Parts: sequence; C-alpha cells; structure tokens
Amino acid sequence: MQRSFEYATESERVRLQLKGISKSFPGVRALDEVSFDLRVGEVHAICGENGAGKSTLMNIITGNHQPDAGQIILNDEVVTIANQLTAQELGIGIVYQEKSLVGNLSVSDNIFAGCQPTTSWRLIDSKKLHNQTQQLLRKLGMNIPSNMAVEKLPAGSQQMVEIAKALSRDPRILILDEPTASLSESDARVLFKIIRLMASQGKSIIYISHRMPEVFSIADRITVLKDGKYQGTRRTGHTNVDEIIRMMVGRDIKAFSYHNSVQDSIALRVQELSGVGFRNISFDVKKGEILGLGGLVGAGRTETCRAIFGIDRKSEGTVEIDGKIVTIHNASDAIAHGMGYLPEDRKEQGLFLDMSVRENILSVKANVLNESVLMNRTADDAVSGSFVEKLSIKTPSLKERVINLSGGNQQKIMLAKWLLLNPKILIVDEPTAGIDVGAKSEIYKVLNELTVQGTSVIVISSDLPELIGISDRILVFWQGEIAAELFRPDFSEEEIMHYSSGTKNMFRNNV
Amino acid sequence: MNQIKLNADLLRDRVATLSLTIVVLIVVSSIIWPAQFFSWENLSLVLLNLSIDAIVAVGMMILLISGSFDLSVGSVVAFAGGLAGYLMYYWGVYVPVAIITSLAACVLIGLVNGVLVAKMGVNPLIQTLAMMGIVRGLALMVSGSGIQNLPDSFNILGQGRLAGFQMPVWYMIIIVAIFSFLVAKTIFFRRYYYIGGNEKAAKLSGIRVDKMKIISFVLMSLLAGIAGIILAARLGAAMPTAGQGMELRVITAVILGGASLLGGQGKIMGALLGTLFMGIVANIMILARVSGYWQQIILGVILILAVTIDLGLQKRADRIARDLVKGKSLQNEN
Repeated sequence: MQRSFEYATESERVRLQLKGISKSFPGVRALDEVSFDLRVGEVHAICGENGAGKSTLMNIITGNHQPDAGQIILNDEVVTIANQLTAQELGIGIVYQEKSLVGNLSVSDNIFAGCQPTTSWRLIDSKKLHNQTQQLLRKLGMNIPSNMAVEKLPAGSQQMVEIAKALSRDPRILILDEPTASLSESDARVLFKIIRLMASQGKSIIYISHRMPEVFSIADRITVLKDGKYQGTRRTGHTNVDEIIRMMVGRDIKAFSYHNSVQDSIALRVQELSGVGFRNISFDVKKGEILGLGGLVGAGRTETCRAIFGIDRKSEGTVEIDGKIVTIHNASDAIAHGMGYLPEDRKEQGLFLDMSVRENILSVKANVLNESVLMNRTADDAVSGSFVEKLSIKTPSLKERVINLSGGNQQKIMLAKWLLLNPKILIVDEPTAGIDVGAKSEIYKVLNELTVQGTSVIVISSDLPELIGISDRILVFWQGEIAAELFRPDFSEEEIMHYSSGTKNMFRNNV
Repeated sequence: MNQIKLNADLLRDRVATLSLTIVVLIVVSSIIWPAQFFSWENLSLVLLNLSIDAIVAVGMMILLISGSFDLSVGSVVAFAGGLAGYLMYYWGVYVPVAIITSLAACVLIGLVNGVLVAKMGVNPLIQTLAMMGIVRGLALMVSGSGIQNLPDSFNILGQGRLAGFQMPVWYMIIIVAIFSFLVAKTIFFRRYYYIGGNEKAAKLSGIRVDKMKIISFVLMSLLAGIAGIILAARLGAAMPTAGQGMELRVITAVILGGASLLGGQGKIMGALLGTLFMGIVANIMILARVSGYWQQIILGVILILAVTIDLGLQKRADRIARDLVKGKSLQNEN
C-alpha cells in the first residue's frame, strides 16, 4: 500500500518530546537513550520487534515505569509522569492490547467506568449516561447500542468500545497498542477514519502495530526501535516497507518463502458441513498443501475448523481423512486421526500460561499418545529441549513459565506441541497475530517444512499478505459460506477483499 | 542471577518451606515442652487426629489442582460411617459387604457431583454445597442419633496397632504414598494440572476434560468415604455429626500445602504437610493452654500470611524471569 496524498492537518508543532530516555531492568537495558518527538495532529507509528522496547517506552509515557535517565517534555515543559493518574491528568490516554472491559456491563457503563454522570442525589443519571454515550459513539461514527452488554458485541465492536473509553477522557495524546489485532478489515477502516478524525482535531496519536500496510496507510511518521535503541524516524511518504523492516531487524528478511510441495492424494475432504455460523461447506485439502482460508472475522472460518476438529458440533456433513469417513466427537478423536489445531487466541485457548515451557510443549503428546503410564523426565526434557532448539525458542530454561515469554516465542511453543505429533493435517488459526517479523518468518518456514514432509496445513488468516504469501490455494468465506476458490496465479488482495466483503461471489449469481 | 532465582524457587516450593516450618515447630516445641510434646504418645496422637483429615485432603488436593473443590466431603464422611454402621448393626450385614456397599454409595455421590459440574456446568461451589446438605440429611437418616456397639471385627480396622502406630495413621501413610507417586509420576494425573492451568487449552490439547473432572469428584467422594469408615471404626460408632466443618478445615490445609483456588498448582505431599502443620499447631496450642477461640484466629492469620507471602514471592520471581527473558533475547539478537 502506498500513500497517495499528504495530510493537511499535519503541523510541525511538537507536543511531546522524549530526550535520551534510558531504562534498565536488572541485567537488561530495555531502553538506551531513546529520543523521539510527537507533533500536534500527527499519527506517529512506532515499530520494532517484540522486545525492542516499545512497551517499555509506552509504560514510561503512561507513568507505569520511571525512566533512569532522560527528560519528558510535554508542551515545552519538563514533566514527571509519576503514575497513570498523572498521565491521565496530562491528557495521555492509552488503549491496551489486552481488553480492559467488563463483559456483562453495558457499553456506556464500560466507557464511563467510575465516572458516570450523577444526579443531584449523587446517583447514576442513566439518562444522561445514555445520551453522553450515544453522543460520543456518534462522534466516532460507531453504530453500537449503548445499553448492550459488552460481551454480546462482536470482538471488533468491543475494541471500538475500548477506544471510545479512552477517548471519553478526552486525551490530547492517545496511544494505540496493536488496535487492529482483533478487528476485521471493515472495522479497521472505521478505526482509521476515527484516527484521522482525531488527528485532524489536533490530537496526537502514537500507533503501535506489526502490520506494515496498516502503518503505512495511517501514519505520518514512523519511528523504529531495535533492542532498546532508537533507529530513526522516517516520514511515511519518504520510505517504504522494506526500509522499515530492515531498520527493525537490521537485516533483510524474506518474509514468505513459498515452496510448492502439493501432492496428488487428498488428505482431508469435507463435504456439506453445516453448523452454527457456517453452512454447506465442502472442500478438499491435498497432502503437502497449504490451504488458506480468507474472509472477515466471523465469516465462519474458525467455526468450520472447530467443527472439523470436534470442538464444536456440526449439524450435518462428513469429514474424510485419507479417503475414509471419520467420526470426530472431540479434540482427542481428531488428534487420534492425525489432526492438530492451533487456536487463534493463544492466551485464552492455546497455552497453559502458568506452566513451564516443557509442560506446554508436551501437553498434547502426554494426553493422547497412550504410550506409557508413567512420565519420563529425561525423555521429556530431551524432546522439549530439541524443539526449543529447533524453533529457536528464546527461554532461560525449560522450566520457565510461558507467561514470561514474548508472543512470538509463545506461538512457537504452541506450534512445537503439534509438531511433536507429526500431524497429517494441521489447522492454524491466525498463526502470527501480534508477533514480530522475525518470529513470523520462522513460523512460515516451519509450515513450509511441514508440507515438504507431506503434512497438509489449513491456515486461517486475516493478514492478507500472509495468506497470499504462503497459501497454495485460498478459500474465501463470506457469511458462513465459501464465496471463492482462488489459485495461486489469481491471488490478489483486491480479489480476496471483494469476495470476503460480499461484493463478488463465485458460487452465487445474485450478488 | 541464577543464585537469586534458585533461592526464589526454593522459597516458592511450598513443600520445602512447609517442611522447614514444621521441623522448626517441632524442635522449638520439644525444647519448651520436652516431656509433653516430644513423647511417643503425644506425637502418635497428633498423627492419629490428623489422619482422617489427611486422607480427605489428598482428594481435595487433586480437585484443587484441577481448579475445583468439594464442600460435601464432611457430610460424606458421616454418611459413609453411618451407612456401613446401619447395615452392620440393623441388618447384620458382613463387615466387608457393608464397607463396600457404603463406598459404592459414596462413589455414586461423587458421580452425581462430577456429572453435574462437568456435563451440566453447575458451579462446583453450588453443586457441592447442595450435596453437603443432602448427604448430611442422608447421614442423619441412616445413623439417627448415632450407632454404637459396632462389631469388633469392624472396629479393629480403626483401633488396631501396627509397629506402634494406630491403623488410621498407616492408612493415611499408604494413601498419601500411593497418590503422591501417582500424581507426581503418571501422565493420567498430570492432566489435572493442565485442566487447572487452562481448561480450554486442555480441551483443545485432546484432554477429555469432562471425563477427568467426573473421575476427580468420584475419587474425592471415595476417599471421603474411606475416611468416614476409618473414623467410624476408630470410634466404634457412627456419628451423624462426624466430619462437621471438615470441608473448610481440609481446604485450608490444602491451600497451606501449596494449592491455589485458581488451579494448576500443588502436590500431594503438600496436602499431608498442610494437615500436619495444622495438627501440630493445634497440639501446641493445647499444650500452651491457649483457648480454642485463639486457635481459630491464629490459623486464620497463618493462612493469610502464607498466601500473601506466596503472592509476593511469585511476583518477584516473575519479575526476575521476565528480565532474564529480555536479557536473553537481547543477547541472542545482538
């Protein structure tokens, strides 16, 4: 994606300036004399691999950490941001990656958490609350009912509520940390509109994201951090993705190493599968093939795969593996038939966060392969250790709790636990969500190696370049049905977008 | 850094810290009351008194590891003894048959708990709270105001001695030994750690979570039933009030022993040490002539202290670990 126009609202006036910020934790220099400035009315992206110091920097701006050295200058005044409250008073707001919403409370209660408008009796004025919420949501162009419980909203809308919550405090500086991780393309477009609107109102936005196209379409300037050091700031119009990635990793990365290893025999055949959120789904996957599933969040991709894997019920349809119809009632049946499933939400569904690296890697093997009754520490250590090495998982030891590792390493651990089983069919749902470029390419490499060995891989991804980069074939889902089957020569982001947003459909004439 | 981490690991291992605390308690008490405390009678009495609780604590530890718990255990203890007593006293049923029938009834109770929690999704607190009332009612029905004069061939099971210890102590040792081995070494019991760690992920990893949960509740009731039979044999009577308040006492002991209500943590040895600790503290307070009210207060304070210290250590350990991770990743990238 390239920028075709310059934003008129951009001004040269500096709102926030960091000078020589350093921060060390025992044994680590997390930030090393980082300087950067944020202008009035600009969207400033911060890029860097995980562990580059982005979070530490944001924690310093929002008062969670105190810098060891350096100055923070806000509107030409040196300030000390002692805690989050000070940050809020100084007009600094942040939308965290993790959700901070209370699911069973309404949208308005969440947005105005703790500062609801009150009547003269100091009771909550629900009418005023409702009106203020509607006003705010309208201003942001969000069409969300204010009295609905947040948990009933789709993930994208929840993220919007999160943003509305941050905006309700009327910050002058807003930090967005991976805001599109759970958003569909259309929600993301709404978000970008809101971001541009805020920028045009003179607010300054710090935008943290791993998605390069996004960064290039929304940011005015891009600052790159690497290993806690400032690498430079570029105007978006005067740079390109390759340069930014080079700055991030300090080396050229060939992100997608496509390799065709599709064989003739069919590994998995799904016929007329229907269930909650999907209907009439039929497709084949060949041995050694990477089948990409494209479409918007909620289009039925995850639902279909969960049903194939036996986690959710299917109401109709059959699943064939190696030409034989199989009955799969639960995940252990699926695993016994040689399937593996990497869920999209690694913290919620994928990992045992408080357990060790070793226990996570062994979590499937120990439960499915009834090869022995007793555990064998030495063998377990050897096996998990070999995967730590093979996937270059960065961990102090096999005993480390995975909660302490970075997202990329956590993702590799999830992958390792399936690799251990040599699956015939591996389903990966958003395999690189929220992880850094280096870890991404390592995961692509692993998936490729799997196909060489004859494993079939089904990839669900909302990251279009990724989907196009690694798939042999792509099925695009739209509203619970397959809307298109695309082969590699015909891959293009535009085509996939058309099919996933319903403006085109191969199997229906009336759209 | 490694030195710091090593010490922190040791401090976070509740089995280690609790063992140390117990040793210190024993040494100090032996110095203060050499004759009363450090005597064979006193120490074997302490063990006898805690043996019933410890057997129940084994099952409770497994439940807590899986992220669940059972409040109906005290009632099951009373019911098991009551039913066995009823069969033997009123119907003249053979001792082994009475015991097996009673244990089978306990298994049924556990099955109901397990199925409703695992399959229907009833919250374990509500399910086992309701079951606590129901089973206490059943216990009152079968044992009325208590059944005395149980057959000698039954009583010997709880009153006999072997190598100086009374039988209940041996049962406790055997059960703890078997389950510490099973829970530490078998793949089957390891699954409870995964379930307690992240139930959704456990399901996706192919663990039959529902089945495992049902088994854990059945095991809990079975162990409570065994404890109830042993208690009745020891007393030579089935009392409808047996095991009252036991559920919270056992959960306290198990948490002192390193379990977390969130699940995923704990060792069977911790369950034994937790009950042992509480038993020794109770004994010391009797020797020190501290009133029963104070015992409750002191145990409450100890529980809070243990949990807060643990949380503090955990935070510290995580901080060190994160720094280690960061340090490592920086080195690797350079």
